[in-house]
Amino acid sequence: MYVIYPGEYFATRADCVLGTVTGSCVCVCLYDEVKRIGGMGHFIVPGMIGTEGIIADEIAKQGITSMEYLIGEIVKLGGDRRFLKAKIFGAGYLKMINVEMGGIINSNIRFLNEYFALERIQVVREDLGGNFRRKVYFVPITGVAYRRLQKRNEDSSEFIRLEQEYIDRVFKNKERYGKVYIFE
Amino acid sequence: MKYIMVIDDSPTIRVSVEFTIKNLGYPIQQAENGNDALKKIADIKGKGDDIAMCICDVNMPEMDGITFIKEFRKIDKFAPVLVLTTESENDKIKAGKDAGASGWLIKPFKAEQLMSIVEKFIR
Repeated sequence: MYVIYPGEYFATRADCVLGTVTGSCVCVCLYDEVKRIGGMGHFIVPGMIGTEGIIADEIAKQGITSMEYLIGEIVKLGGDRRFLKAKIFGAGYLKMINVEMGGIINSNIRFLNEYFALERIQVVREDLGGNFRRKVYFVPITGVAYRRLQKRNEDSSEFIRLEQEYIDRVFKNKERYGKVYIFE
Repeated sequence: MKYIMVIDDSPTIRVSVEFTIKNLGYPIQQAENGNDALKKIADIKGKGDDIAMCICDVNMPEMDGITFIKEFRKIDKFAPVLVLTTESENDKIKAGKDAGASGWLIKPFKAEQLMSIVEKFIR
């Protein structure tokens, strides 16, 4: 089994299992049923999305880029965006979050809905919100996903620490954009 | 009339780029991969119009961005090509430059950042 830690993504055509534990972040599982290629990403959109929608929003671009990394890996392996299907998990409203973080989690759910509608990628399973962590296992070549709700935080204490560190890091760096190279 | 081509297999990226540069006053043509772009460019040139610049992704099905640039350079040596991608490895950037790209912008992009590069290229 390959473990996908917060902020990571991985795509493969191997017969294997990908796994993660997500709290406030989202876990996106994508698979191309025709080519039997799939992958998993674990990320958060680090802020509130404006009323104009994700195509006009600078914060949403961070989420679009997270999706691009995952889909790009699937395309490099021979997958086709037009055949992708999605299973999405997470965006939990955990007990310790404040009002602002609650709004950001709402924005993450909205981001996923708008993004998959624009991409015309069918979401075959959506398990978002609620006030619990989720352990997710995903078989990338078949698209089969298993989700278990985490009743006790001690069951995934390492993931809780890593996810909080990741969230702190992306919120601190949310204004960071890509480099430019001009050749002429 | 001169067109700006936006070539990406992601509808979200195509719409987002078009939204960012729509006020420049150039007609924008979208394409979902290199093959699709070459067909649309042939149509545009066949009608007596031209290409102001191309903005293209790297990883696309049917024809990737680097192959597209090589093919595009056979029919247009001068129109700038900006690569807009998540790819940041030096080997990939060098391959883009060698193929004839004019610039390389790594996602995520800021709207003002993209606008200033496009304005620099087309004016």
